[in-house]
Amino acid sequence: MPSATATPDVELIIEDSRGGGGGGRPPDGGDDGDDGDYSKGPRREPPSSRRFSTGIAIGMVSILMFFMALASAFLLLHHSSRVWVAVHLPAILWANTVVLIGSSFVLERARLRLSNGDVPGFRKMWLVTTFLGLLFVAGQLVAWRQLVAEGVYIASNQASSFFYIFTGAHGVHLLGGVVALLFVLLRNFERSQISMSLAAEITSYYWHFMDGLWIFLFALLYLGK
Amino acid sequence: MSRILLSARSRDRGELLTTRMVTYDSGGNQPEKLPYSFVLRYLVSTDHKTIGLQYLWLALLSVFVGMAMSLVMRIHLAWPWMHITFLSTLDSSPERYATLPVLHGSLMVFLVLTAAPQLGFGNYFLPLQIGAREMAFPTLNLFSFWATVLSLFGITSAFLIAPQAGITLWIVSVSVFCGATLSSALNFAVTTIDLRAKGMTLPRLPLTVWAWFLNAILGMLIFSVLLAACLCLLSDRWFSTHFFSAVDFLASQPANVAPDVLPALWQRLFWFFAQAEVYVAMLPCFGIVSHLIATFSRKPVWRERLVVLALCAVGLVGFCVWGQHMFSSGLNPFSPLVFSVLAASLGLPATILLASWFATLWTARFQLNTSLLFALGFVSLFLSGGISGLFLARHDFASTSVTEDFVTGHFHLVMGVAATFAILAALFFWFPKLFGRRLNEPLGKLHFWVTFAGVYGVFMPMHWVGLVAHLAKHPGANLSTIAAWIGPTRSFITAGIVITVCAQGVFLFNFLWSLFRGDRVEEYNPWRATTLEWSVASPPPWDDFGAGEPVVYRGAYEFGVPGVAQDFIPQHVAPDRVVRAN
Repeated sequence: MPSATATPDVELIIEDSRGGGGGGRPPDGGDDGDDGDYSKGPRREPPSSRRFSTGIAIGMVSILMFFMALASAFLLLHHSSRVWVAVHLPAILWANTVVLIGSSFVLERARLRLSNGDVPGFRKMWLVTTFLGLLFVAGQLVAWRQLVAEGVYIASNQASSFFYIFTGAHGVHLLGGVVALLFVLLRNFERSQISMSLAAEITSYYWHFMDGLWIFLFALLYLGK
Repeated sequence: MSRILLSARSRDRGELLTTRMVTYDSGGNQPEKLPYSFVLRYLVSTDHKTIGLQYLWLALLSVFVGMAMSLVMRIHLAWPWMHITFLSTLDSSPERYATLPVLHGSLMVFLVLTAAPQLGFGNYFLPLQIGAREMAFPTLNLFSFWATVLSLFGITSAFLIAPQAGITLWIVSVSVFCGATLSSALNFAVTTIDLRAKGMTLPRLPLTVWAWFLNAILGMLIFSVLLAACLCLLSDRWFSTHFFSAVDFLASQPANVAPDVLPALWQRLFWFFAQAEVYVAMLPCFGIVSHLIATFSRKPVWRERLVVLALCAVGLVGFCVWGQHMFSSGLNPFSPLVFSVLAASLGLPATILLASWFATLWTARFQLNTSLLFALGFVSLFLSGGISGLFLARHDFASTSVTEDFVTGHFHLVMGVAATFAILAALFFWFPKLFGRRLNEPLGKLHFWVTFAGVYGVFMPMHWVGLVAHLAKHPGANLSTIAAWIGPTRSFITAGIVITVCAQGVFLFNFLWSLFRGDRVEEYNPWRATTLEWSVASPPPWDDFGAGEPVVYRGAYEFGVPGVAQDFIPQHVAPDRVVRAN
């Protein structure tokens, strides 16, 4: 990696998009000695945009850990509690699941359009994804109302507590995903540190993760009957 | 297109900064213009150095409040009739006394042991040591800091209000602290992975950076679990759910539900966090102590790769020993054995670390200054506390042979006091870089020796009390002899606490006096250390390395390289610029 003074800008940008942080061999020469004057050395590049992907990956591990703690509590109480009364799961949860999986497919279609350079088409599909996400949240609220109408409240017994905590915590995390979807839709990327396609890619990771997490939680609740 | 624009702009900024760098070099260390006014700089600055210092101030405040709490507790134990001005105006219920250890523990563990070595020194020095200009997500960093301030406020207020409301406020504050720690752990991990300067490969990372990085990963995993546990607790308090079923709830159930089937869920979730939290407090201290011992011994770290592996092992095994605290709570009968083996196997990485410290010191001609004294104090306390830990790792010992005092003595020695010694060693080491002045050495040594003697005088007798008090449970024990021994020992411990706390006054005076009147440090690198933070001015300019980017050419511990004029080679010096010995 030659020093920046001798390099056209385009080459630096390519370096940057591959992730400039760490790892590479140091350039020859262009050193600054022991006096701490770095102005003679290579120019500082903007921080690697790879940090956004790394950040979301680590963040997802942390969120997974949070839900695993709740899931282990669920399994422990399910097996050892003698006051466990299983919750009758409302049928609308199946519809919600289909909506959420569908939103993941639409999101991937949207990203495909973006990579083909069709930005208006991308925005349209992206808006559909956002709408499906909100539809899922609305469907979860309907499920809550149905349970309340049956007289099953959060404090009724341990199984119903877990139902409300799982769906509530997942819903809050999913709304975070909706905010990210809206951010990609409304943000002016001309003045941003992050490109539109990267923002869409990172949002898609999170959205699919929320999707998979819901399937896991739903399976847990279903098998926990 | 936008990327090309971005690059062009950054190049422009680069040129502006270059001009400013020239101004520094000709006119002292102060930048000509700071990006914010003084007030804004401390309220909304996203600069990693400002945030790091703010964490250190927060920890300083918390450690003195926490210490006052421990003093009040010991005074109450030794002389229960004594009137304490402010506290006696609150009610004197048993709940009020119980809030004392809670406040002491949560301030010390969260705001001091978790915050100071990781969030304070880490925020300040991790970007500097890896040659990054900033943390990966500076705004998130600012959010973490103010969330931490909020949780400190909540934890402290919880002590002053009615106990039941106080507990709820305490849980909310701890949840906020979890959020803050999780977001800064994310920041630390991503910064280390993606923002390293050119040439800063993983084997060249200083051990401090390794420790901060591994610690961030560990924190990322365990604070989520504590957050989940806090959420369930709050749900129990607010929505009357029964995640952690109380005995009275079971009593209201049909007769076939016996209270002995309590599933111990809270214990599992809590200890999953809390046992690993010990290593969250210790990991950065291991890194700091290894770094200081190598720097002051003027020798490379002995078996550096092995030390990195040992740090990884501490994180990994520390994550798996949560059952260690639950030997008497109805686990599967085989699990105590598993957890015992795991807990005892922590002795292996600990032994590697100790061997590395001693081997680095072996035949070294070290400079015995206050910083190294505190680092050696850490080694001593870690060793003493660690040995009693080996006893406690036996699943039959903790429940049958000692009382709580033994455990209290053990973890204070190994976790609380040892970590505090590492924090002080780091403070004496980095003070010139932080403030451009030195801490006073004679006062520092006085502070060290009194504190060192004081903490041994407090926590060693606590082990003995734990052993002797257990004798009282045996049939036919001579209770009067035991009581006659324990009473004076408790008073001795309390006297030791008073002396130790007074010695911290010496430190506080030294700290504040040196901040304004200490010897100025003009040179960049007073300790002749190798890492990148010593290649910039003291204190570092607001833009750290200026317009340029440091390039790293070698590992972090190149001391005493044969054929070189000086006894160290800084990481950023190119091979052709190294001055050879004639």
